[in-house]
Amino acid sequence: MNFFDIIGLLAVGVGQTLLVTLACSATGMFIGMTAAGLRRIDFFGAKFLLNFYSFVFRGIPVLVLLFLVYFGLPGMGFKVPPLLAMMLSLGLISGAYLAEVFRGALDSVDGAEVLAAEAMGMSRLQVLIYIELPQMLRFAVPGMVNEFTTVLKYSPFAYTVGIPEITKQAMTLASTTLRGIEVYLAVGILYFAIYRTLLLGVQWLSFKYRVPGFGAR
Amino acid sequence: MALIEIRDLVKKFDDKRVLDGVCMDVVEGEVKVVMGSSGCGKSTLLRCINRLIEPSSGTITFRGQNITDSSTDVRALRQSIGFVFQQFALYRHLCVLDNITLGLRKLRGMSKLDAQAKALHELARLDMVEHCEQYPAQLSGGQKQRVALARALAMDPAVILLDEPTSALDPVMSREVGQLINKLRGENVTMMCVTHDLVLAGAIADRVTFLDKGVIRAEETIAHLSNHHADEQVRAFFGSAA
Repeated sequence: MNFFDIIGLLAVGVGQTLLVTLACSATGMFIGMTAAGLRRIDFFGAKFLLNFYSFVFRGIPVLVLLFLVYFGLPGMGFKVPPLLAMMLSLGLISGAYLAEVFRGALDSVDGAEVLAAEAMGMSRLQVLIYIELPQMLRFAVPGMVNEFTTVLKYSPFAYTVGIPEITKQAMTLASTTLRGIEVYLAVGILYFAIYRTLLLGVQWLSFKYRVPGFGAR
Repeated sequence: MALIEIRDLVKKFDDKRVLDGVCMDVVEGEVKVVMGSSGCGKSTLLRCINRLIEPSSGTITFRGQNITDSSTDVRALRQSIGFVFQQFALYRHLCVLDNITLGLRKLRGMSKLDAQAKALHELARLDMVEHCEQYPAQLSGGQKQRVALARALAMDPAVILLDEPTSALDPVMSREVGQLINKLRGENVTMMCVTHDLVLAGAIADRVTFLDKGVIRAEETIAHLSNHHADEQVRAFFGSAA
């Protein structure tokens, strides 16, 4: 078995790693955008709850929350599938960080544009959807890439709840072949390849939606 | 009857009376110019008219309806009153055409094609059609102000409020904006402009209203205000401004 054979065997887990990363990133995006949006329009005084969420979830280790969801909730009668457990742990924590990224990006939107939209007769929600969110997403690209990278790097925790992603495959392969250095070197290469591929995807999106005058590219 | 009637308008920020009993009429087809030094309450006055700022007391009547009343549909009111800001406030993530069509589509419910046709008509009116696909960052200050005016005009407002329209422009572009306002005046567009740019005021209005510390001190021709007005402070302002 040569090095490329090892990579080929580990590649079986790439799909699961991508699935976990994308599912948790999407959860984080949705929660982060919702939290930032609700905070921006001060939805029924949601600021306190959102601050509490952000404060708490940024302080909990991913593995602790994952075990709490996957091994703790069944004790209360809620059986959580592995992928959902990842989304409710890593996704929620990522959402707390992304909410802060989006809050900073929203603060970068020119207040005069918001005022102009309100002066035109738009509701607060219309201003958020048509003026603030499109700009926020552009400003937030660096922070989002950073957070997605973090999610990718935390995705190996998925093996603890039985998802056969790259690390799980590597542990099995290393224990059967006793070629740990080559196996984990291959794991590193695969994660780096996934990271570069995701980065290229984000860069392509940034290029496609680039607007003259915006710093983020 | 005046299009806008302002009576005893007071706006207080904490204990400071920024507007102190302002009374004023804006007649249809008129270009009303309000002048005064920075911080005299000019912008606050404009923002009270479309309720971006809530007046503390007094009444503003627009088309015969008291718009300071709590039952006023503020969003509907704002759609009838165009507003042009001193820093242009164009949406920088949208091209010129989309800047203008956004309000038409989302507030007036027009189809994309109808909104674009209307936007192009307004851009043609202001000689800006060739820039319709450009983004705000690609335009000069004068061009941005034209787009801001086109965006306001596209909504067919009853009146356009201009907040220091030349303060961010060089003299050449300021003259351009003055010519533009005169062109619109010729088309019977009602406008209310606050400025401390005496050249612009002289170019677009015969008479100006002078606001000082929230109080209207005078309403006269610039020549009269600078040479013959009884109040020395008024003469000084217009003399120094000249």
